[in-house]
Amino acid sequence: MSALVELEDAAFGYAGRVVVRAHGLAVRPGEFLGLVGASGAGKTTLFRGLLGLVPPLAGRVKRAGAVFGYVPQRETLDELFPLSALEVVEMGACGRRTGLRAFGRDERAAAHAALARVGLGPEARAPFAELSGGQRQRVLIARALLARPTLLLLDEPTSAVDQAAERRILALLRELNEREGLAILLVSHNLALVREAVALVWTVRDGGVEVAPPGEALGARGLERLFGGAGAAGATGG
Amino acid sequence: MDLSWSEIIELFGWACAAALLAGVVCPLVGALLYVRRSSFHGIALPQFAAAGVACGFCVLPWWIEHVGLGALDLDAALADTHLATNYHLGWAAVFTFGGLALLSLTGARAGSEVARLAAGFALAGALTVLFTHASPVGEHFVGQLMRGEILAIGQHEFETLCAVLAAVALVLYRYRREFVLISFDRELAQVLGRRTRALELLFLAVTGATVSVGTMTLGPIVLFGLLVLPPIAARATARSMAGFLLWSSVHGTLAAGLGVWAALRFNLPMAPPIVLAAAVQLGAAQGLRLARARRGAGTARQAGPA
Repeated sequence: MSALVELEDAAFGYAGRVVVRAHGLAVRPGEFLGLVGASGAGKTTLFRGLLGLVPPLAGRVKRAGAVFGYVPQRETLDELFPLSALEVVEMGACGRRTGLRAFGRDERAAAHAALARVGLGPEARAPFAELSGGQRQRVLIARALLARPTLLLLDEPTSAVDQAAERRILALLRELNEREGLAILLVSHNLALVREAVALVWTVRDGGVEVAPPGEALGARGLERLFGGAGAAGATGG
Repeated sequence: MDLSWSEIIELFGWACAAALLAGVVCPLVGALLYVRRSSFHGIALPQFAAAGVACGFCVLPWWIEHVGLGALDLDAALADTHLATNYHLGWAAVFTFGGLALLSLTGARAGSEVARLAAGFALAGALTVLFTHASPVGEHFVGQLMRGEILAIGQHEFETLCAVLAAVALVLYRYRREFVLISFDRELAQVLGRRTRALELLFLAVTGATVSVGTMTLGPIVLFGLLVLPPIAARATARSMAGFLLWSSVHGTLAAGLGVWAALRFNLPMAPPIVLAAAVQLGAAQGLRLARARRGAGTARQAGPA
């Protein structure tokens, strides 16, 4: 099966300094991947490189017609904007608007459907800033779905949400992956969640990326290599 | 003022229409500046535009001698509102966009944006006073503009304002979602393949055009008031971006209408009553927000112990 995204000897970094190198990494249709690493290891740089937000310093990122659905960390979004949940979701259709074509009924209907898809149909008119953390996260997932993605990339989707919200988000991601065949790449510090959710883990360490099944990457030895002895003990709980 | 409404419309119709038009459109630009946390642009940029108008008067004698203004001499140029408006609008635009470029270039480095804008405001204020002082022919006009004496607005000035603000309104209508997107989540805009830099430039152009023509026609005080106050009032009660934009415009139109009425009724310069009317609405909106919050807290308390 051809890859949606492929990294060919790609190196990413800032101001000419390489932070992480990735060779032979690929995301294929229907895969569910986790991206983990210690703070400062370079996982955010790699994630941004995949999204095209950071250009590669060397090598290249091959996107074979992949359409990205991007779910950022919701803490980065300013609550001063008085956006309703529906208006946030509608942003996902902005990539399809060209020229002077106005925002149409089709996009509005698709936004309602995406909200219903994540279980928030009745909250369409609610102010985004007044929703709970978990609800806001699901609104952002609905927004990503509106772009009709082939690959969903999520940055810390369960940070600062309670356990019930975390289970709901995980169930939603599983459903999207298993029933709809959507490829998913998840960046998270919550290792318990990653272990439970994904089929393959990309571990960023020492400026490189290792690929292994979750049992191996996030087992006792994997964690020790990732964080060192003391850090591993704290990380297992997620 | 003991004038009938027909006389008022005949004498001040263009000024009233200009104030109302600015009341409808300027708050829409101000609303986007507000959510981008750039409201102080609404204070600094009109001051740059005013400095441009003052500079235009300062160099007018030199300009007529070396460049020419429709083959007119100085007195004729000052009397020809059509040419003079276009000439000063050009200077206002040069200084507004120059100010925007200056603020953007210095903004590329780290530091406080508010401090940069404050410095820009101080610089533009000082330049306005110096240019006005150096230009005896412009002192009267700039003084009127700064105080908001806008009753003498003529047909050509109104038509210029109308053309520019209509273009601004059209661009905002078409690109409002994109402007919100690049301000709310710039990275998503990039991932979706939107040209964020081009959209930023378009928004700056819209802001610059609004400020240039608004300041040239209505003066900086009206612009301060209409760009800044209505959006704050609208944000106090808004539950959606569409509602926020709509109510910003409604607050602005009401402020302009009430201000024009008060200016004519009590024989005042037009700008200050417009700003005061906007401030009164802001107070009312904040009161409404507090009342809603208290009611919400009361309902929660009643429901809580059960």
